[in-house]
Amino acid sequence: MKVVNLLAVVEQDKCRGCRICEFVCPVVAIKMENRMAVIDNGRCRGCAACEQRCPEYAISMVKREQPVFVKVDVSAVDYTQIEELCTKAKFNPEQLICYCTATRAEEVAAAILQGAESPEELSYLTGVRTGCKVECIQPLLRLLAAAGIEPRRPKDGWQWYGKTVTVWEIPEEVKQKYASRGFYFDEDIELLNRIVEAPLQGRSDT
Amino acid sequence: MHSPLVPIPPRASQYGIEPELVKTRVSELPRMTSVLLKELFPDLPEVIYPSSEGLDAIRKASVAALQKVDMSKIKPEHSVNILASHHGFTLLGGEPYAELLRTIRDVVEARTGCHNIRLRAGVGLRFRETEEYIKRYGLDKDFNGKAIGVAPIDQGIAIETEIGTLYGIKKVYDADWIIHAHNSDVREVHFHRQVDRAVKPFGMSYARIETRSTYHQNLGPRAANFTARAIFDSPFVQSKFAFAAFLTMAPNGIVGVDVDSNLYALNDRVTEIGCRYYGKMMTLLGEIDECIAALDFPAPAVYVFSAGVIYANFAGANTDLYDLELPLPAYTWYTESFYGKLGRPLLDEIPPMNKAIKMTVHNYAWTGYPCAFFTEHIPTVVVGQEQAELFNRDPQNLNYMKHAVVSESTEDAMEFAYKASGTRKVIVFDGAMGGINVSEPLAELLLKKAPEVSERVEETLLPKWLRQRGVRL
Repeated sequence: MKVVNLLAVVEQDKCRGCRICEFVCPVVAIKMENRMAVIDNGRCRGCAACEQRCPEYAISMVKREQPVFVKVDVSAVDYTQIEELCTKAKFNPEQLICYCTATRAEEVAAAILQGAESPEELSYLTGVRTGCKVECIQPLLRLLAAAGIEPRRPKDGWQWYGKTVTVWEIPEEVKQKYASRGFYFDEDIELLNRIVEAPLQGRSDT
Repeated sequence: MHSPLVPIPPRASQYGIEPELVKTRVSELPRMTSVLLKELFPDLPEVIYPSSEGLDAIRKASVAALQKVDMSKIKPEHSVNILASHHGFTLLGGEPYAELLRTIRDVVEARTGCHNIRLRAGVGLRFRETEEYIKRYGLDKDFNGKAIGVAPIDQGIAIETEIGTLYGIKKVYDADWIIHAHNSDVREVHFHRQVDRAVKPFGMSYARIETRSTYHQNLGPRAANFTARAIFDSPFVQSKFAFAAFLTMAPNGIVGVDVDSNLYALNDRVTEIGCRYYGKMMTLLGEIDECIAALDFPAPAVYVFSAGVIYANFAGANTDLYDLELPLPAYTWYTESFYGKLGRPLLDEIPPMNKAIKMTVHNYAWTGYPCAFFTEHIPTVVVGQEQAELFNRDPQNLNYMKHAVVSESTEDAMEFAYKASGTRKVIVFDGAMGGINVSEPLAELLLKKAPEVSERVEETLLPKWLRQRGVRL
């Protein structure tokens, strides 16, 4: 769950229409109108990516009068399906995949099973990737891939470029080549497999 | 026993409270003392900084080290990106690293006739942090307006590697040549485990989010470092790599400057010094039986320094961070992610946060890094409502204050911590140079334990650590 207590606000006289804010927004909440950035207040998740990258310092984060609570109802989905999807993506359903918002794999899986088809939609619905904005893109892409979804990148955007390798996919020759230099590939596979299979502590949020 | 050492002063930054709000430093309180690191470990190397020579020592050592590297492939008509990272600016006040960057620029220009030399300074999770440093140290002027901060959400560039496509920041690689300007300070041992430490920025501060997420989510705690090696070894990066220039660090200061066009040779030297000297310090901190940890440094809570060691490593000092047979330290992002919904680890073997830390007094530390895991697991007092409010406005720390209490002053916070924890041992993470600010009972403990720790590291642990990393002395 994420508590959205901030809102991005554009100072129109400073905005030069460079579109960088639009390119970095993880929930696609910014559009250009008449070469000016316009924020969709209802969509903004308060991550401050736009404020942090605006070259003109034209965006500030203000406190919302009423915070917005963002969460997907895990209990609305058959938990067996959530478990299957997480296991296919090699996550334990209770594994945290976003450290900033404390979002677990099960919530993202539930969002996908309810129809989310892109990292941007997952960020909008769960708040994932709206804290540090860096570390949790691959779990989203892995879970979408496990569901058979090939998400489309936002046009011209820099939100994400592509899914990358996991430890299970490292070629054997690479493992052998670097075996003596402190890379413990097979040992980490064994550890992560045990995490995937570890017993759940609470079956659902209810 | 000595008087407390002068801590690193607060810094004006959008990620921290205003410096004038930091009324009291923990080291100023009664019964605080200091121990010089050389008293703990007499074999620590001699340092060139801090010293009476000041920054001149850095420039001199940098010039001398740069003389040894071949720059003939850099032509006057070429462009060069000197690649920097935020981390260097957190060391010993930041000026030494800024001086290294200036010196590299000046020497490259003088030796090659190339004038198009830019600074590209990467960050962690505070996207404007190096912008602040560029202004603070006047690097924009030194680089003739060609100094910029770059962030992992900036435009990317695909890099083909032997494990598939990874992604770098486009502006890092938009020159004919790159010079990797870094330091050997170990910092995040919990993440990199002293494996390919010198290579890590290629998978982190020079990299896009896809790559950093690969490191922290896809490869596992001990395979993660391969991300950086894969990028560095790629034909694309190799075609641009000129050389690396590092401040060589020990817990007690800057030992020298190391320049090499062979990054892996430099890396082996970094590995040895990291394991030997920082390994001793971390092993000694692991001997502390109980304490209050006071955070008092201009960086996020995990990155505040004491004796050259960051707080995140002290939080995991109950295990041997260098022993690669141990998969998970008490704190890493992998570890944090493996706590289930009832707040317990998903596997019984996952070690708890260092139980010796009875309480944390957060006197002064920044936002801009997800730290709620620490307040969830260690009782924490935050000094000042302004600081609490800053954390409540940080998208990365919306849960931090849920588990912490607020005190009006440093004095009140420490008195509360003494009473609630029952210990008089205090370790202060305030960046004091050359020594460590502690309370008297903790000073006594450290001085008593250090000789045995030194012997254990030299005789038993160091050979094992180096063997695990394929490094021969």
